Amino acid sequence: MSTHSVDLVVIGAGPGGYAAAFVAATHGLTVALVDSDTNLGGVCLNRGCIPSKALLHLAKLIREAESASHHGVTFGKPKIDLDQIRTWKTSIIDKLSGGVAHLAKKRNVTVLNGRGLFQSSTTLRVDSPNGQSYVTFKHAIIAAGSRPALPSAFDLGSHRVMTSTEALELADIPARLLVIGGGYIGMELGTVYSALGSKVSVVEAQSSILSGADPDLIRPVVKFSQTHFESVWTSTKVQSMQSDGKTVKVTLANETKTWEENFDRVLVSVGRSPNSQNLGLENTKVQLDDRGYIKVNSNLATDDPSIYAIGDIIGGLMLAHKASKEARIAVDNIVGDPTRFENPIIPAVVFTDPEVAWAGLTETEAKAKGIAIKVSKFPWGASGRALTFDRTDGLTKLILEPGTDRILGVGIVGVGAGELIAEGALAIEMGATAADLGEVIHAHPTLSETLMEAAEVYYGTSAHG
Amino acid sequence: MEIKLPHLGDGIDSAVVLSVLVSPGDMVTKDQTILELETDKAVAPIPCPAAGKVIAIHVKSGDTVSMGTLVLSIEGDSASSTATAPVASAQAAVAPVSVSSAPTPTPSTGPLGSYTFESASGAEPPASPSIRKMSQLFGLDLRRIRGTGNGGRITTPDVQAHLSHLQFVAFQVPATTPAIAAPTKPATPALPDFSKFGSIEIQPITSLRKKIGQKMSDAWTTVPHVTQFDEADITQLMALRKKYVPEYEKKGIKLSVTVLLLKAVVDALKKFPIFNSTYDEANGQMIMKNYFNFGIAVDTDNGLIVPVIRNVDQKSLETLSADLSTIAEKARTRQVSLEDLQGSSFTISNLGSLGVGPFTPIVNTPEVAILGLSKGVTKPVVIDGKIEIRTLLPLSLSYDHRIIDGADGARFTREIIAGIEQFNEEYLKGN
Repeated sequence: MSTHSVDLVVIGAGPGGYAAAFVAATHGLTVALVDSDTNLGGVCLNRGCIPSKALLHLAKLIREAESASHHGVTFGKPKIDLDQIRTWKTSIIDKLSGGVAHLAKKRNVTVLNGRGLFQSSTTLRVDSPNGQSYVTFKHAIIAAGSRPALPSAFDLGSHRVMTSTEALELADIPARLLVIGGGYIGMELGTVYSALGSKVSVVEAQSSILSGADPDLIRPVVKFSQTHFESVWTSTKVQSMQSDGKTVKVTLANETKTWEENFDRVLVSVGRSPNSQNLGLENTKVQLDDRGYIKVNSNLATDDPSIYAIGDIIGGLMLAHKASKEARIAVDNIVGDPTRFENPIIPAVVFTDPEVAWAGLTETEAKAKGIAIKVSKFPWGASGRALTFDRTDGLTKLILEPGTDRILGVGIVGVGAGELIAEGALAIEMGATAADLGEVIHAHPTLSETLMEAAEVYYGTSAHG
Repeated sequence: MEIKLPHLGDGIDSAVVLSVLVSPGDMVTKDQTILELETDKAVAPIPCPAAGKVIAIHVKSGDTVSMGTLVLSIEGDSASSTATAPVASAQAAVAPVSVSSAPTPTPSTGPLGSYTFESASGAEPPASPSIRKMSQLFGLDLRRIRGTGNGGRITTPDVQAHLSHLQFVAFQVPATTPAIAAPTKPATPALPDFSKFGSIEIQPITSLRKKIGQKMSDAWTTVPHVTQFDEADITQLMALRKKYVPEYEKKGIKLSVTVLLLKAVVDALKKFPIFNSTYDEANGQMIMKNYFNFGIAVDTDNGLIVPVIRNVDQKSLETLSADLSTIAEKARTRQVSLEDLQGSSFTISNLGSLGVGPFTPIVNTPEVAILGLSKGVTKPVVIDGKIEIRTLLPLSLSYDHRIIDGADGARFTREIIAGIEQFNEEYLKGN
């Protein structure tokens, strides 16, 4: 048994946790980073953002190769080597995870592999296969993240019922796949399996997939899924599921009918649950809300003055980049700079085909809150760049404050929207006006011009809108 | 050896040199007062941390100085070579801060005080992330800063102008506070030539005297004073004291009546918190204080000073006795630091040792009440129809009639008397 005494212990080595540990170390704090996974990087790196994006890259290649035949270039049917795909995917994870471990070493951050359990507001016990160790700390940051929710009604104990974790392992390519939940995780993984050859069906209880995003931004994704998926059942619920030979029998119901379908595999993507249990929080003053998220104030401090919490475990948007920003705020406060996480602009990106991205205020939110806005749109049909790769199913729009023309929100759908949204986030954060955006010279021919054009449309001076 | 200014006290970033009391060539002794500084709180003497001969003086009257400012160079007596001034926390060994006698920059833009950002969409004022972070660290409300960038965006120069403005306003307080500005002072009429009537002698007054004078006339013209007189029977209190004196003496503590009175008064203050408040007339509010720090008016060779005993309510009689002796000793040796003079919430002026009766103390603004103690007198008193010999202590409570009415003044006085006459013996035991 060993004991470590540190200024800061961070529980969870995901994008929130490792950022917190490294930033704190650069401030001169002694830091221990605790994670039960020997591969550092958390869900995002091992079982989330990164592997899913690798697979989505392959999906995109397959789709583009197919559509190239319309432009005079024809490829043969792609051969899928699952072993090789998995090896490639794992190599990316290993490289990034190794990178995190290397950075930890470089910054003298002590990495402890094991499960962290609070003994008190100043002591953490770390249980690992090699035994127990203790960390006494002045401050702790909890960044233990979340896991895919698997409601007990869907948990048949069968490998045919998967969460995102198993789906990313890519055990096989099921002939028929049902995705329960048309949120971003379900839609992204549905896109992957569909490109690899599965017949994908999506069932969504809400009236639309990707609910919450503005309807005009979703439209191209709906159209894509209607074309490439076997079915998209909205306003439909899964009544029950049971194993049926080598398939899963699913009973579906909407307002008008109830019916059964058999699938080779089912992906349950109905949300994520915080990993706030089994952390020993009952031995601290940390409080949870009724959904199990850790309660924090705007400084990200919990009810226990020595303990902060960041990332998925405090709820809100469960996104890696939100956690990374929160890591910096928590460390700022620990080293004595009282910064706050207030009115943050957190860009959201859905890596479907095409991608959907937004930052700041959405039309939906403005409507719900009764905020008066003006909207300026630039459809990609008028973008030369979009025409060159035959994807004019995009749209760039600005949400503006009447009177001041200040940019309050930006929404984009289209190929590469995830990259384009960065300029939108910068514009909002800088308090830029539509005129500012219109005055900036954008390179031609690029998709970034659509932001400038949307601003010019607002003033009626667009060359192409 | 270079003498730099020590830490001036919490919340005091700078002070103005009122007078320099030494000249080049003078021999100074350790702890001799070399400077008098004026802050918005008080005038404070700055003692010399070491003995020697003054070679050069680096500041002059009117300079604004802060911690680390180089004030004096002396030579000789190199036994004590570190430049630490015993006043306050004795941490003078820091980089010198430039002496500034330039006036505070006036803001280039017009009055900003009333500006508040409003947005129909409820958005925060437009400003870049770095400026928003800066505002959090400085505790600035960006909504009070007028942005001059495109779309009203707040730029770095806007923040700088705002800070200059705040500083300007902060230093303008005496001129702009209506409470002080309101009664326009009639111009002092020219004095007659007294030498016509006989021989006269002109004597300079110290800057401390000037400061006391200014403070007293400010308090007198601002605060409508009421003084409530009464007497407390301290016969029982004195007997109690006598009973416990030997026990305290064993610990080397001189148990005075004054120390017992502090305890009785703080208990009464807790029941009448308005006497422990400040009237913020400019903002139309009262500032109630949850701490009980007593200013103790002390007579010194140079005039009145009011050092502070903190957290009287939380201290044992033993600690309070020690605090009282420390104050007296510091006042006698001119070692009172600016920090010792700050933060009182109620003041006690004890003229008992001078053998006089009731008087009308002047409220130590911005406090709202002051208690004067006079000499305890042995008198015949009628108790239950019989004449008894008792010792009575005259009390003179002055208070600010703007926020405290006569009935409360009377009730508070009764509460103090009750606390004295039925003094809680537990305080004497529990040390």
